[in-house]
Amino acid sequence: MAKSVHQDQRYLLALVNNDAGLINEIYKKCAGKVKSFVVFNNGTADDAEDIFQEALVDIYNQAKYKDLQLTCPFEPFLLLVCKRKWLNALKKKSVLQVTNSEDDLLLVGEDTFKQAEQLEEQQAQADLFLKAFEKLGDRCKEIIKWSMQGDAQEKVAEALGVTYGYLRKKKSECMASLIKLVQVNN
Amino acid sequence: MMAEDKILLVARYSEGDMDENEIANFKTQLQDDVELQQNLKEYQNIHQSLKMQLANDESDQRFKQHLNTLGRQHFSEEVKVISFRPYKKWLPAVAAILVVGLLLWAPWNSSLYSNYADNGQMLITERGAAQQTNLDVAASFYNDKDYVAAEKLLEREYLANLQNEMVGYYYGIALIETHQEEVARTVLTKIYIGESAFKYDAAYYIALSYLKEDKNTDCIAWLKKIPPGTGRYAKATELLTKL
Repeated sequence: MAKSVHQDQRYLLALVNNDAGLINEIYKKCAGKVKSFVVFNNGTADDAEDIFQEALVDIYNQAKYKDLQLTCPFEPFLLLVCKRKWLNALKKKSVLQVTNSEDDLLLVGEDTFKQAEQLEEQQAQADLFLKAFEKLGDRCKEIIKWSMQGDAQEKVAEALGVTYGYLRKKKSECMASLIKLVQVNN
Repeated sequence: MMAEDKILLVARYSEGDMDENEIANFKTQLQDDVELQQNLKEYQNIHQSLKMQLANDESDQRFKQHLNTLGRQHFSEEVKVISFRPYKKWLPAVAAILVVGLLLWAPWNSSLYSNYADNGQMLITERGAAQQTNLDVAASFYNDKDYVAAEKLLEREYLANLQNEMVGYYYGIALIETHQEEVARTVLTKIYIGESAFKYDAAYYIALSYLKEDKNTDCIAWLKKIPPGTGRYAKATELLTKL
């Protein structure tokens, strides 16, 4: 059975709507904690800032484009996403000694772990799709990219110097090629 | 039907490249064909994942810009505010000159524009970096009311980052001060249309740019756009009574 959406979904809506009040609240509540964790684990305040921003952009993207539904409380979710991001960054730098502040991790529910993991998987998957997209021909890349940049499709056709009908036909063909590429890679 | 044909069918359906008959057929087929349902789901997933990375539309950019500003406020080790500190020792002398200057110049008789254009201080908060950035220098000029020098530097900053409303706002004021009201209005109108903290400040300065050119009707129209409860409302209403 699908889990019900947590009331903290409002934070995701706030991100999507760029709601200054609630986003500021997120920073007030969580920025200090992420900073302490990162700085305590071989990082700097700048690293913490980057990680925090990256995490919020990921959540924003998933909520806006992929209808992410939060089934756990927002704060531990965001903190966990940031921690995982920082641990991954450390792994890449081969710095292995990580002091995990277990006290607050123990308070994180199973749902939160699962949701943070899913976010990471979705992000990794999106990167793979982007790699497949890069393998397409230039014309296909141009058509897909333009049509995804939010403008009215009629305008996109005009900008590319083609008819609206041709744009739809060509985009379907290009997208079909992309799906095949993704399937082959899998 | 071949698997490859199904993928193209799903793509054509999703991109609106089908006529009514084809759509109806597709929908009928979709009801029983599990593989087609799976294909459609996969298509939507790939499409949206890719859009997430390629779109970067105006609202995405505004959001990231907002996070940049908040990040600087909440993560910086030390907040630096460009100030007049180096000038402190000269203050008594400057004050004396000002008093004499004020008596000669008598600004209380000068135009409404200079009475209402306070222009404020351009405060930049950023990490306590030792190196002075272009923006730091621009802020010093601006705060010294050397708008000619500030305008040149702000133009460079503005063109490098058109989404930065803070830079746009001060650039707009510097343009008004250097008699480039028309350009100023283009820059400020863009900010007014957006939703940044500078929205109504921009409207206020557009009004002042018209005032400076003695175009009182346009000035009034812009002053009226400033709603109660915003920072510029009191000044705007006061100015309206004088026009």
